[in-house]
Amino acid sequence: MGNITTRKNGLQKFFLQLGYRWAIIFLFLEIILFSIISPGFFSFNGIQVILINSPFILLLSLAETFVIITGGIDLSVGFVMGFTSVVSAKLIAAFVGLGMNDLLSIIVGIVITLVIGIIPGFVNGILIARLKVPPFIATFSMIGITHGISELLIKGTYAKGLPALAGRIGNGSLINIVPGKTVSFFISPTIQRGDQLIEILPTVFVIPFIFILIFAFILKSTKFGQHTYAIGGNVDAAIRAGIDVKTHIIKIYMLSSFFATVAGIMYVFRYVTGKADAGAMFLLEGIIAVIIGGASLYGGIGSVWKTLIGCFIILVMENGLRMLGVPTFYKLIVVGIILIFAVLIDQLSPELIHKEE
Amino acid sequence: MSNNKNSTLSVSQSLLSILARNWALLFVLVLILIFSFTGINFFSSKNFQNILHLSTIYLLLASSETFVIITGGIDLSVGFVMGLSSVLSATIMRELHAANFTPALSISIGSIVGLIVCIIPGLINGVLVTKYRVPPFISTLGMGGIASGITLVMCEGFPVTFLPPYLTAIGNGYLIYILPGKAISFFNRPEGIVGEELRKLIRIIPNSLMFNFVILFILWHILKNTKFGQHTYAIGGSMDAAVRAGINTNKHLIIIYVLSSFLAGLAGVFNVFQTGIGNFTPFTAMYELIAIAAVVIGGASLMGGKGRIFGSVIGVILLRTIENGLHLSGVDPFFRFIAVGLILIVAVVIDQLFPDLF
Repeated sequence: MGNITTRKNGLQKFFLQLGYRWAIIFLFLEIILFSIISPGFFSFNGIQVILINSPFILLLSLAETFVIITGGIDLSVGFVMGFTSVVSAKLIAAFVGLGMNDLLSIIVGIVITLVIGIIPGFVNGILIARLKVPPFIATFSMIGITHGISELLIKGTYAKGLPALAGRIGNGSLINIVPGKTVSFFISPTIQRGDQLIEILPTVFVIPFIFILIFAFILKSTKFGQHTYAIGGNVDAAIRAGIDVKTHIIKIYMLSSFFATVAGIMYVFRYVTGKADAGAMFLLEGIIAVIIGGASLYGGIGSVWKTLIGCFIILVMENGLRMLGVPTFYKLIVVGIILIFAVLIDQLSPELIHKEE
Repeated sequence: MSNNKNSTLSVSQSLLSILARNWALLFVLVLILIFSFTGINFFSSKNFQNILHLSTIYLLLASSETFVIITGGIDLSVGFVMGLSSVLSATIMRELHAANFTPALSISIGSIVGLIVCIIPGLINGVLVTKYRVPPFISTLGMGGIASGITLVMCEGFPVTFLPPYLTAIGNGYLIYILPGKAISFFNRPEGIVGEELRKLIRIIPNSLMFNFVILFILWHILKNTKFGQHTYAIGGSMDAAVRAGINTNKHLIIIYVLSSFLAGLAGVFNVFQTGIGNFTPFTAMYELIAIAAVVIGGASLMGGKGRIFGSVIGVILLRTIENGLHLSGVDPFFRFIAVGLILIVAVVIDQLFPDLF
């Protein structure tokens, strides 16, 4: 292959680059297109609207990135998100009911939820790694179990009784400025009528983004990340290289459930309620974002940054169409077409290399 | 394993083999036994007919998944293609009915157009999977999104109503109606029955059951006794071997995906007959996942090469019996989600423990 790559001429090089980097180019074209045709799209508030809608797809696609790189798939993240939104909402409401301080009950509720939320992933991992159940089936079964339990917890309605503080976190921003009066961080301040509130970066975006930064580093630069790629690339080789594949896969599915749990908690902050099917919509979007980002379902390929690009292709499309007044149904069609084209481009790119021979 | 050891174990092993192979059927029988004690009116011909009647769309979707899964693929678009055909055929029926066509004509034109249009998603899936090597998971996922979007654009997020009459009379009708000691009639209720007599009317064999039986028999025959069926198993067993054996695998796979879409379309048209309205598939309905679960419970492997129509039918009946039985036993309906999940895990673990038996 070495001499083939050296014989590339300029135009072919250009097309290869276009093939490899189509996602980021597409994202820019999308942003430019919507900026031109819908006024107010490319503005400070327009961008923040995209960010405030982003946490669920970001977190679920982050979960899927790790799982898909190992060659698996996790269908349960959507309902684990719903499950944990119910659990955390119930816990926080219960602690508040016991007379605890709002902030303390939120913190304690979150900590307990994070522990409970890892359990579905642990069970998935045991089923997949130890009992050799295909990931598709194991995680699908987990959908049924988590969905059933969360509906039973809230008896088919939604969780309520949360403190107002939860909503103030969910609707707050990293920096909230009321000019001439107060500056607060993360939690939105109480404002009087007539006050102007300047918000910079929504909290519900900042928290997932911190996770993305940490886990992009982990996937790219640590042993854990290297082993993840190794398992996805070739399990046999990974075993021979001395990687404890079973434990690693269990950890990956626990990590996936962990991100879904964070998404569930973000849902509670954002909407001040918990719902069993909170994440049902975001499961497929999460998987689609990972695939648009260029990951392969056969494993071994993918990165957090590319997934991020995939997420924003969907989010920008969604927001742009909404601002143009197009019914959201069209989004499904467009995303479906982008998904198929994403994979077609990835399939055709190797052919570009072969044609140069 | 040595030969003599094999022969001494053969009796117990073959018994175990039969048990493991038919565990789903046994499980259905056990469930029926349990629910007969716990469920109110569970053990009655009326209820069993009801279970089968309400299984129709799942049976069609599961049989379409059976073909695809045997070839080692997966079709995540069936649920949305079903919604597309349901909404499309209902819309055509409504428009024709509004334009003063006779009910029979508008119903038949609507059904036929719905069925024909639903071949298109399958054709595109098949071409993407074979010619462009797009993984089935992705191409059918994308196609599901596209079909769902087109459906919602067409019906604007509401069920399609104001359809011609007689739809539900056909879809929910029975073959034989008997009023004990008085009247017997076929396909239609005997004339002039009202009030208390209507309750005593005995209905035997739903139309949907005959419809199912014909379709499933044809599919079973195709898969079991024809060259097409053999090729399907061959492709799922080993793609390379199938190519070397001279099977036109690309053409075969395209036919499989078209068949899958067609059966999904059939389920959608039946849905119109059953409910009397055109229903879109919500993005969270997960019909396709339930169908896949039924196929896996029926003994198919997602790796391909394994699966039976009969097994998938048992899988669907198992899931529907749990739902119906729990409901009639007064159990919270949400337990059925948990039950489905647990049974699916059991199915695959049994499959893993006895891999050589199937």
